[in-house]
Amino acid sequence: MTTSRLEVPGSVRIVAGVAVVGVFLWLTDALRKLVDGGFTLLLQQTANGIVLGATIGLIALGYTMVYGIIQLINFAHGEVFMVGAFGGLAVYRWVLPESVRGDWYISLPAMLLGGVIVAVVIAVLMERFAYRPLRNAPRLAPLITALGVSVALQEAIRLWFPDAASAQPFPRVFIDAQVDLGPIELSASQVLLIVVSVVLAVLLQTYISRSRMGRAMRATSQDHDTARLMGINPDRVIVLTFVMGAALAGVAGVLYGSNINSVGNDIGFQNGIFAFTAAVLGGIGSLRGAVIGAFIIGLIKTLGGQYLPGGTQYDYIWIFVVLILVLVFRPQGLFGEAERVRA
Amino acid sequence: MSRLNGLVPAALARPFTAIGGVLFLIAAMLPWATFILNDGPYPEKSTLQFFDAPFELTGFRWHLLLFGVLAVIVTFAPVRGKERVLRSFGWGGLLIGVIGALFIAGKGGGIGAITAADGATALGSIVAIVGGALLVLGASANGLGDIPEWPTSLFGWTGMKQRLEAWVVLLIAFAGVLWLVAQTLTAGGIGGAAFPYAGPVFLAFLGFAGGLIGALHGVGVTRWVSQLSEKHRPFSIVVLLLCAFALPFPFTGAGSQYWMQVAATIGVYAATAIGLNIVVGLSGLLDLGYVAFMGIGAFVAANLSGVAASALGWNLPFPLAALIAAVVAGIFGAIVGSPTLRVRGDYLAIVTLAFGEIFSRAAQNNIGDLTGGASAMPGIPPVTMFGTAFNEPIKLFGAQLPSGVLYYFMIVLVVGLVMAVFANLKNSRMGRAWIAIREDEDAARAMGIRTGKAKILAFLVGATLAGLAGAIFVHKLGTASYDSFKFLESVTLLAAVILGGMGTIPGAVLGASLLFVLPEKLREFSDYRLFVFGLALVLIMRFRPQGLVPDRIRRAEFAGETAEGKSIEEIEEQAVLEQEQADREPEAPAAPKEGRP
Repeated sequence: MTTSRLEVPGSVRIVAGVAVVGVFLWLTDALRKLVDGGFTLLLQQTANGIVLGATIGLIALGYTMVYGIIQLINFAHGEVFMVGAFGGLAVYRWVLPESVRGDWYISLPAMLLGGVIVAVVIAVLMERFAYRPLRNAPRLAPLITALGVSVALQEAIRLWFPDAASAQPFPRVFIDAQVDLGPIELSASQVLLIVVSVVLAVLLQTYISRSRMGRAMRATSQDHDTARLMGINPDRVIVLTFVMGAALAGVAGVLYGSNINSVGNDIGFQNGIFAFTAAVLGGIGSLRGAVIGAFIIGLIKTLGGQYLPGGTQYDYIWIFVVLILVLVFRPQGLFGEAERVRA
Repeated sequence: MSRLNGLVPAALARPFTAIGGVLFLIAAMLPWATFILNDGPYPEKSTLQFFDAPFELTGFRWHLLLFGVLAVIVTFAPVRGKERVLRSFGWGGLLIGVIGALFIAGKGGGIGAITAADGATALGSIVAIVGGALLVLGASANGLGDIPEWPTSLFGWTGMKQRLEAWVVLLIAFAGVLWLVAQTLTAGGIGGAAFPYAGPVFLAFLGFAGGLIGALHGVGVTRWVSQLSEKHRPFSIVVLLLCAFALPFPFTGAGSQYWMQVAATIGVYAATAIGLNIVVGLSGLLDLGYVAFMGIGAFVAANLSGVAASALGWNLPFPLAALIAAVVAGIFGAIVGSPTLRVRGDYLAIVTLAFGEIFSRAAQNNIGDLTGGASAMPGIPPVTMFGTAFNEPIKLFGAQLPSGVLYYFMIVLVVGLVMAVFANLKNSRMGRAWIAIREDEDAARAMGIRTGKAKILAFLVGATLAGLAGAIFVHKLGTASYDSFKFLESVTLLAAVILGGMGTIPGAVLGASLLFVLPEKLREFSDYRLFVFGLALVLIMRFRPQGLVPDRIRRAEFAGETAEGKSIEEIEEQAVLEQEQADREPEAPAAPKEGRP
């Protein structure tokens, strides 16, 4: 990646210059809106951004772990999240008896379990039948396979999950209450999402840095062959990586659904891209980076939608702009190679 | 499928293939469905009579019959490379049988429909499947031989006579291609509720065509013809263009308005796929937002053609609008390509995806009042040149041609142009630089290739071609909508390139044709289209990552072969053996070869 600066053509520099001027003009506009909107609005949007970031963070952990260990952009990971949400919905609809649906301490764990199981099963099948045979193929092959898996999973849900051709209502399983935080309010399930996300991220980090299996994962990510010589079975480690990533995505799916109260088969693609952006922003392969990147992305989306020109119609675009800028100017992300934990 | 080799003892090879051929003959005569599916209001016309009547020869029965007869003849005739021929017949017949069986069992209520139910028996499809399996196994028993080489002239002629012979052969070959294309296009008719057989009939025809082409390949004909056409290049190009222009005329059977429209759409996507092939196939830069360039070309052309929804309100003649569209798309291509200076591989794919998404979002939100947003830009006038509107029927050489045929002609020319650009670029200094970058960027750089420039140029050329295709696309369609240029279209185009074979022209055309004809034919199953498409991507990467028409160099890369088709392992073994021999020789020069274990 050591491209010399000399090779950047003049045209690129002109484009960059125009872009800088444009960004400056936009920012002044944003500042005006910020002052007009007042402090409460800013706080509320920040809180919304953190909630979004918590969801994305759980997905981004899966991206970053899989990339760290087999250098694969598992494009279908967003769909694992989506399938997890539908797994939770399925449990609610067909497994839980009517009488206990209202009790969140029963229904929420049951749905989380259902979402996690479905997500894990899908991810393991995906790894076994789609990715493993391609482990020594040219690099673009697994990426294209991942695209195929992603399309197939989306369509499978649309075709065979009853009524899933349109977005489905998702029950609000957790306590239906508002938590008062000074000038702003968050719903209880939003608070739950943030807490669960942070706790799981910390647990994962601890597991990978302390446990025996975590050490095996770090060894495998550095060198499969040497890891094998040390008595580690890389295939098992890779499957475990997929399982852990999928479990987190399953949890994220169920919590996301109960938070938004609606799931469709398209939630995976969008949130998957957000999560991927977060993972890249944080430095792909770094767990801490993925979580911090996710919160930044969440804030960019909500604050950009509020204050940048174009409003919420364009909030999606700001995330892609950030993605491009990060990849072009700091491909190693915020927590670059030096601090790379690599799953 | 080398795994099949030697599953059956060599002695049984001939009986197996002979019985397989005979089973094909029997299958062609047997009924295929036990009952008529005609209960309930939908689908009223969907009786399975078509598959039911024995001794009534419809399309796929003819094909099976032909395969059966040829298989029996080839089994006992001294034909070189017959293993491959027989195996192709086997796969073709097997495919016909499987498609028939699946369709009848699926539509006709389970296994009973293809075995025996209510006193009727219909084992046709099963017999065909068994016959196909026997043929494939028998043909693979002795392993597959080499594809025979044919002499340049069959009669040993030289000079003028040889040239004439080659011309006649090429004429026949291209006429055959024209026939096959027309047949494929019309096989099964127009899909939809009115004619539910369209899908299976078309797929069964693909099985037939695949078996036929495989057999011709196995006996060495296709390689011979392609060598001849390589040798007589200008002649081939002229004949091929003539054949393409002949397609709308009545004698091909494909000259209806509907098929012309389908053919023109395929042409647009084929041109785009060839453009993408420059970026992905030649330079190895995975572009996941390619359709955005087509979209940019489309919206630029729409805005310059006097559309009411446009904020510009310009009305330029079509050639100028198309040219500007291509140039603007090319400029965007260079901009999108500029991150390639710093980003590689997967990351580049994601950058292009991000650009594609930004375009699609911006178009959806009607950025600058230039895209019409969710309500699209309707009312783009048809192309008018030389006083003729392109969407009207015309009379040519005494034949009445359907409306839309002028678009088809224009698109044939554009596809020809794009092919010429591609072929010339591929063999140019720049093309070799692209291939070098694809193989190893650092090595290419070390060889003095200015990789940054080359990569941006690849994006620029690819985007220009896409912009041109987009301009034609919207003029033909009459509406420019952001919906036509979404991520999924990019993936479909990419799939077309990969399915066909990266880096080759026929591959891109074949891939685009398949991916955009199949939905037309399989309308009845359109709900499952994307699901099957996703699965197909996975399966292709798993089992045939080099595509249907692989590039020599890329095939080598995937299969561990050299460009000449030799296995690298074999060559290495050979080298080791020679080395051993060389080591041994000075010690025991007189040692007989049999002495070695």
